[in-house]
Amino acid sequence: MTRPGLAVPPAPASGAAVPRRSDRTLPGRSDRRARSRMRALREQPGRLVYLTLVAVLFFSGFPLYYSFVVASRDNSALAQVPPPVLPGANLVENVERVFATVPFGTALWNSVVVSASVTASVVFFSTLAGFAFAKLEFKGAKVLLVTVVATMMVPVQLGVIPLFMLMIELEWTDTLWAVVAPGLVSAFGVFFMTQYLRGALPGSLIESARMDGASTFRIFWQIVMPAARPAAVVLGVLTFLTSWNDYFWPLIVLSSPERQTVQVALSTLSGGYVTDQSLVLTGTMLATLPLLAVFALLGKYMISGIMQGAVKG
Amino acid sequence: MTIAAKRTGPARTADPTGRSSPAGRRFQHLRYRLDLKASPYLYIAPFFALFAAFGLFPLAYTAWVSTHEWSLLSDEHVFVAFGNYQALLSDPYFWNALGNTMSILLLATVPQLLAALLLAHLLTLRLRGQTFWRMGMLLPNVASVVAVAVIFSQLFGRDFGLVNWVLESLGAGRIDWQSGSATSHIAIAVMVAWKWTGYNALIFLAAMQAVPRDVYEAAHLDGASRMQQLFHVTVPMIRPTIVFTVIVSTIYGLQIFAEPQLFGGGGPNGVTGGASRQFQTLTLYLYEHGFNRGFEFGYASAVAWTMFLVIVVVALLNYLFIRRIRSDS
Amino acid sequence: MKTRPIRTAMAAAAAAALALTAACSGGGDDGGKITLSVGLFGDFGFGPLYEEYSKLHPEIEFEERIAEFADHHTNLTTHLATGSGAADIEAVEVGYISQYTAQPDRFHNLLDLGAAELEGQWLDWKWQQALAKDGEALIGLGTDVGGMAMCYRRDLFEQAGLPVERDEVSALWAGSWEDYVAVGRQYSEATGGDYFFESSGNMFRAMVEQADEGVYDRDDNLVVESNPAIGEAWDLTVEAIEAGMSNRLQAWTPEWNAGFNEGTFATIICPAWMTSYIETNAPDSAGLWDIATVPGGAGNMGGSHLVLPAQGDHPEEAYAFIEWLTAPEQQLKVFESTGNFPSTPALYEDEALTGMTKAYFNDAPVGQIFTAAAQAVRPQYQGPLQGDVLATIGQGLGRIEDGSQTPDEAWSQVLGDLESF
Repeated sequence: MTRPGLAVPPAPASGAAVPRRSDRTLPGRSDRRARSRMRALREQPGRLVYLTLVAVLFFSGFPLYYSFVVASRDNSALAQVPPPVLPGANLVENVERVFATVPFGTALWNSVVVSASVTASVVFFSTLAGFAFAKLEFKGAKVLLVTVVATMMVPVQLGVIPLFMLMIELEWTDTLWAVVAPGLVSAFGVFFMTQYLRGALPGSLIESARMDGASTFRIFWQIVMPAARPAAVVLGVLTFLTSWNDYFWPLIVLSSPERQTVQVALSTLSGGYVTDQSLVLTGTMLATLPLLAVFALLGKYMISGIMQGAVKG
Repeated sequence: MTIAAKRTGPARTADPTGRSSPAGRRFQHLRYRLDLKASPYLYIAPFFALFAAFGLFPLAYTAWVSTHEWSLLSDEHVFVAFGNYQALLSDPYFWNALGNTMSILLLATVPQLLAALLLAHLLTLRLRGQTFWRMGMLLPNVASVVAVAVIFSQLFGRDFGLVNWVLESLGAGRIDWQSGSATSHIAIAVMVAWKWTGYNALIFLAAMQAVPRDVYEAAHLDGASRMQQLFHVTVPMIRPTIVFTVIVSTIYGLQIFAEPQLFGGGGPNGVTGGASRQFQTLTLYLYEHGFNRGFEFGYASAVAWTMFLVIVVVALLNYLFIRRIRSDS
Repeated sequence: MKTRPIRTAMAAAAAAALALTAACSGGGDDGGKITLSVGLFGDFGFGPLYEEYSKLHPEIEFEERIAEFADHHTNLTTHLATGSGAADIEAVEVGYISQYTAQPDRFHNLLDLGAAELEGQWLDWKWQQALAKDGEALIGLGTDVGGMAMCYRRDLFEQAGLPVERDEVSALWAGSWEDYVAVGRQYSEATGGDYFFESSGNMFRAMVEQADEGVYDRDDNLVVESNPAIGEAWDLTVEAIEAGMSNRLQAWTPEWNAGFNEGTFATIICPAWMTSYIETNAPDSAGLWDIATVPGGAGNMGGSHLVLPAQGDHPEEAYAFIEWLTAPEQQLKVFESTGNFPSTPALYEDEALTGMTKAYFNDAPVGQIFTAAAQAVRPQYQGPLQGDVLATIGQGLGRIEDGSQTPDEAWSQVLGDLESF
């Protein structure tokens, strides 16, 4: 389910790192000199280093590749000895079968709608609240922030029943709202943004804007939002992934086929007496493709976000 | 322009006469004060409002339910105070689940973070194609937990799994990964570690790059090898990052669910984590009681709140432990 | 150029949010048409029948919701408890039916909707299973029943020097389950330790299903410890495990699926619905599998009912449909397409059913075999947690199989586990 904060994967956060970020983004002259000295100290990476990295990359990619192998064969391939490691010829047929068995196109669209809405909302509200916690002074700030962190530690599975009762009250069952609403905010996101903005936003910048007579909202809009961008990309991608892969809650709250999200639709593939593993993995692969696309599009920015300290240690 | 002039700027536009009247200034001042005082609350309000409705309400409700004998199958709910908690603490299967969860957590987290440290260390080198390697590290993150569980269950299959085939080819013999306690924990830990090692490596890398260079220089002049530098210079310097990686991995690891469930084959063995409950985690235990058999929602709620306490305690212990390392070294 | 993807992503997000608003406000009625939702686990072969029914009743349309077996029943329970979210028509497997007959208020009473006159149409025990304790309410109409047979691999039997033809094979264990275990020993010896069956849990369950009394008595008391039939079934199963006959597979896992084609086991308990499972799972093994009778007499394993949750808005229309759907003519069509065996005895005299054969199983006369099996079933009372009790005992056998417990330890843990039920 998507209860905020808990559904979001473990991105470590908090605890200001030793250096100030200005050291990194605006390298001073002395820093630059130190770096060139450093370069002389560092040996060129040897062949062993590259070999290790290739091995790591192989293990990272292999399970995904293997699911593609199974998806491109028929069910009997799973029992072959030795197990097949090359793609077979059944991919197109399997994809057609997935689309014939479940309304995959509709599900795909529903998932896009849900995940994009949740992502936009989480990023916006987290930045807003993160700004308040990081840079504005107000009574009870500390206590409230601790509350946010504490809520990240509560197991989610059990909120399901009361949440479902709530959805009935609101008459939202079997609508996409039921999946979107609980995901609109995330404790993890607030915490994440607070940590980032604490370091990334010089207090002097806000002070001088205030001197210029800017309202708090204007400061938020014109200074905080742009400054938050690296972290926003990281948070956005993580939120999108989590929302896309959410399964337990949508399965309970969405019932009619035209409202299913991708993960719910996948569950019907393995339903019933017959489990066709190649069909299941074809569906899994199809459901992962959009994420790979997002990753290809934004992965670079996500990495540069992380490198700029978006995930604060 | 002076600061003072700037500050009265907006007041001037608010005053049609062009002169800043005392009333106008007072209004301006009031608005400024209001903005300063109210804005923070206004900005955190959407989060807390939505969170209260869709997060806190369900949780508070389960706390109430946990003090009742409350089955979804019946409309009668009997108040039992802490009866559910007492039953829970005296159930050996609860302790078994707690033990399994801890074991899987350790197996998944410790090697994972060590590997992430080493990887991050490698990535600080001047590599060709930096972005390529970094993207590669992050790739497993894209896969959903369900996909990971399905694929790895396949790979760890007893009769036709790739892992066993490789083991057999090497002359090591097949392993029934699922039926053993240690082997099943390892298989599940691999699923978790596979997904998160690269991600954590990148976070460590970011922290490492922020370590001032002269520290390394000094270490180098002292004749420290690269490995020594990693453990005696880098690790202490990025300790705050490590602390929080550990804590968040812990929070996540204690709630592990889909991996063991799907690894167990989805049927009764999925819910109990194997015939001997050899890999039943706390969340699976919660699921077994709340969404299975008797739908004992009251009991399951008690499990959820007990889990919460366990998570808080473990996270705190971790925190203290790692802080201790800091003061020791 | 540099920020383009981020902006694109944000624009897409905004567009999606708008689409959401649109999507949520959609819906409405379709000009007097009624859509009946049908919640199933797996494909029941109803597809063509929806079309046929809609032709007869143009105002009715159908929407099928399929979920995984366990998810389906969990969801149904959740939806019943919260009074919302269930389909108009839901399938319930026999292992779960008693759990629902215990709460008849949550379903439309089919006796009030017209089922009262149809009592004789189903096998009596099938009808009884869906009847509330007090007999005042009927919550479901029966679809299929799972009269048991024994499927075996002809090729593997031949290699082991055992008879191959189905009558001879049936004769091998016609006496009892002890004979079956004896044949298993013979098979193991001849093949140098190959597995005779896939999992001990299934063998145990088959024996229990054949007994007069199962794991519950008629007052819903668990009688696992006191019922001698259970003790005997347990002991014989343990004997088979210790003789190394079980392939130690867990039903419905990929390894188990693969076993049908690979021939890692030689026999499997075959309720009617299992035949279509084997056929789809091991398409390359056509002609290798055959069907003999099951040792120890007749018994039922599996089968379902269709129920109408009380929260459904169209009880009359839904009832009219399931009455039609579970009538003999339609059950015959389902059997032809899926192998799910009819629960209506009128068909058992019908040449169209009894004459049916299956090419995949070496032209086995499936109509005849399963008709005989269904007719011979002696009704056994099913308690509220029937499925869970059997699963718990099955897990005990699993612990013996994987060597983690001795039979005595496993048995006492089973009894301990059952105490919490």
